[in-house]
Amino acid sequence: MQKQREELKLKLGVTSFLMEYKVFLVLAVIVVALCCMTPLFWTSQNLFNILRQVTVTTVVAAGFTLVLAIGAIDLSVGSVLGFVGIMMAFMLQAGVPVGVVIIAGVIMGIGTGLLNAFLVTAFKLPAFIVTLAMSSIYRGLCYVTTGMEAVYGLPEDFLFFGQGYVGVVPFPVFIMIATIIVMYIVVNRTAFGRHVIAMGGNEEATRACGINVNRTRYGVFGVIGGCAGLASIILTARSASAQVTAGTNMEMDAIAAVVIGGTSLMGGNANVLGTLAGCLIVGVVNNGLNLMAVDSNWQVVAKGLLILFAVILDSVSAQVFKKSQIKQAAQKSN
Amino acid sequence: MNTILKMSGIKKVFAGVIALDDVNLELEKGEIHALIGENGAGKSTLMKILLGMYQRDGGEIEFKGQKINFKSPAEALESGISMIHQEISLVPNMTVAENIWLGREKQFKKGAMIDIRKRHEKTEKLLHGLEIDVKPNVPVKNLSVAEMQLVELARAVSYDADIIIMDEPTSALTTKEVELLYKITRNLAKEGVTSVFISHKLEEIFDICDRVTVLRDGHFIKTDYCKNISNDQLIKMIVGRELKDIYPKVQPKYGDVALEVKHLCKTGVFDDISFEVRSGEILGFAGLMGAGRTEIMRSIFGMERPDSGEIYIHGKKVHIKRPKDAVENGIGMVTEDRLRTGSIYTLSVIGNTTLASLGQITNRLELYSPKKELKEFTKVSGKLSVKYSSPKELIGNLSGGNQQKVIIARWLLKNVDILIMDEPTRGIDVGSKSEIYQLMADLANQGMAIIMISSEMPELLGMSNRIVVVRGGKLVFECSRQEADQETLIAHAFDI
Repeated sequence: MQKQREELKLKLGVTSFLMEYKVFLVLAVIVVALCCMTPLFWTSQNLFNILRQVTVTTVVAAGFTLVLAIGAIDLSVGSVLGFVGIMMAFMLQAGVPVGVVIIAGVIMGIGTGLLNAFLVTAFKLPAFIVTLAMSSIYRGLCYVTTGMEAVYGLPEDFLFFGQGYVGVVPFPVFIMIATIIVMYIVVNRTAFGRHVIAMGGNEEATRACGINVNRTRYGVFGVIGGCAGLASIILTARSASAQVTAGTNMEMDAIAAVVIGGTSLMGGNANVLGTLAGCLIVGVVNNGLNLMAVDSNWQVVAKGLLILFAVILDSVSAQVFKKSQIKQAAQKSN
Repeated sequence: MNTILKMSGIKKVFAGVIALDDVNLELEKGEIHALIGENGAGKSTLMKILLGMYQRDGGEIEFKGQKINFKSPAEALESGISMIHQEISLVPNMTVAENIWLGREKQFKKGAMIDIRKRHEKTEKLLHGLEIDVKPNVPVKNLSVAEMQLVELARAVSYDADIIIMDEPTSALTTKEVELLYKITRNLAKEGVTSVFISHKLEEIFDICDRVTVLRDGHFIKTDYCKNISNDQLIKMIVGRELKDIYPKVQPKYGDVALEVKHLCKTGVFDDISFEVRSGEILGFAGLMGAGRTEIMRSIFGMERPDSGEIYIHGKKVHIKRPKDAVENGIGMVTEDRLRTGSIYTLSVIGNTTLASLGQITNRLELYSPKKELKEFTKVSGKLSVKYSSPKELIGNLSGGNQQKVIIARWLLKNVDILIMDEPTRGIDVGSKSEIYQLMADLANQGMAIIMISSEMPELLGMSNRIVVVRGGKLVFECSRQEADQETLIAHAFDI
């Protein structure tokens, strides 16, 4: 009896582990497939290239995981990214020290997030509409402040954040890894992270636990704003300029990656490592298509197919998982 | 007489819990029949089975001499059985005529259009026949609640119904409107329409009903002519039960006043509520569903804002604006609606337990370790004998009783010393029930002040040291456990 129970626990452990990290399995399959299809894929240069390309999306998506976890959405991140970039570029042009500009960039990002949270909380508006409106406002400000022209002439020190290398590793990769680690700890080891997941699962019940859900919401939007600011630093430095259209559709890429990674759009769970895997899958597939000289427009189609595949896989495996749990419960009671 | 409906041996089981067991209901043509029982006695379930909203697990239904088995309320309607629900189910933006004939516009068709005049005339005739003074072309949202209810009645009649079921039809009506409803119902009876009154108001039953059927705990008790039974007999039939020996016997040890509420008001919901509860005391709140008990507790706990009133905790005045303030002042609440405000289904058993008190185990960097969390969890989970296969199991996999224990564990871990429990054993099997009772007794013994809202008389009488009755948003009666008996409490709750 005891032994049987131990076995059951183990089995339960393995299946739920697979459930949580199945996206890594998918990533592994794709990587192996690409290795077989093209010799160019598995080279350190190409792999770092992929990492470098996914940094901006990953930093945004890491924060976005929390937004989806509380069951909200933020459509303004792309525009925030562009706007913060332009503001930073102006500051740099005016001779403000690089260190100050970087801190200001992140703080501006956090500020936009807090403003979103304020509008949602104070006027009881849906985040969808608030962030849609804010998105338009920031993008418009990008156009107005620049006269539709990109801002160039950024100092060398600043460009390091997007183009620099430490050894063979591109510097932005460190920023990305640090963001993922911090976000993982926030979700899995802090009271705030648990509150985020609880709030996404059942806001009324979470409030009834004596948790200030409004403050949690401010926190989440602050985090995604900060992530957008950080991503803006990388992107602006990498392109050595602040483009007026920078970050366009970034929110969609982030949502795609988070959902592929296994976080539910309905809220109530947050899989940060899954988000990283989701970003890598999109990056790897795009890279593979590039290497095989497929027209780049097909990458857009591929991304759509990936999202569909991911959510179908999620839905089907959840049903299978549930069935197996019911079966186990039935066995247990016998 | 002429039997129109005969339900016999009706049985219904929900997830292993027997909701109806061998229940009979016989209706005669043209009678007004009362269906009565406490909350949870099975009245609604029985009616939902008749209408085809639920499928029965046993028994037979015979309607106009034919065995029937409705699959949906629409089928029942077509056959001549309609129901007026307690909640208004009219479309506010549509006119009275549009509402009455909603879904049946075909009969007014003229080409591709609806002959509005024809519909108007037919509606006028219908309303006039029922002596309902409402214009057919008025949008329903402009009507009073009473008028809406009468329009619902008219709609039910318009189906040429043989049986009309009314669920607490008079709860929103003034005396004059109740008279009108009685008159309409009597006229319908003369025309051979049978009415079923589901009601809590006993006086109403004696006023208008011919016969009464009493249900209790899902069992059929009796059907009899109203003129053959007295008020007291009826109450006995409704309450009936023996107190079972599942309530722990403990000598209460009272401490100082833990919570004092003074003149708490919320317009239209409750009025001038004042009471106090001591450490070590279990205070029972009796009353009918909708009397305002839950709203009072939600206001104390900060889930709603009262209009005025004062709350003192251990003699100190506190301002509670949100649940967080209440929790910080040592109040916990086990809510009535576990689904909406209790369990968080995306979290595990352990996650649900520690949710309110994660702050207690975080370090200076706001981090906690899973090991510490597990240690905290085992501190309380053992005390409550929660049954689960793994702490990481989602709470939704547990039975209702075990989920309830997890929610109680949540507050134990938070070390609250005032616990509000709203219907703590609703939908819970008897085994878990007695465990929860034992736990409540232990907690009170350790000095916790407990407020328990309950609609189950035996539970109130078995667990409370003191009982107050709420009716229509007011505290109308208070007594100690020794003074209390079921008949008195019921009488105050029903206002007889």
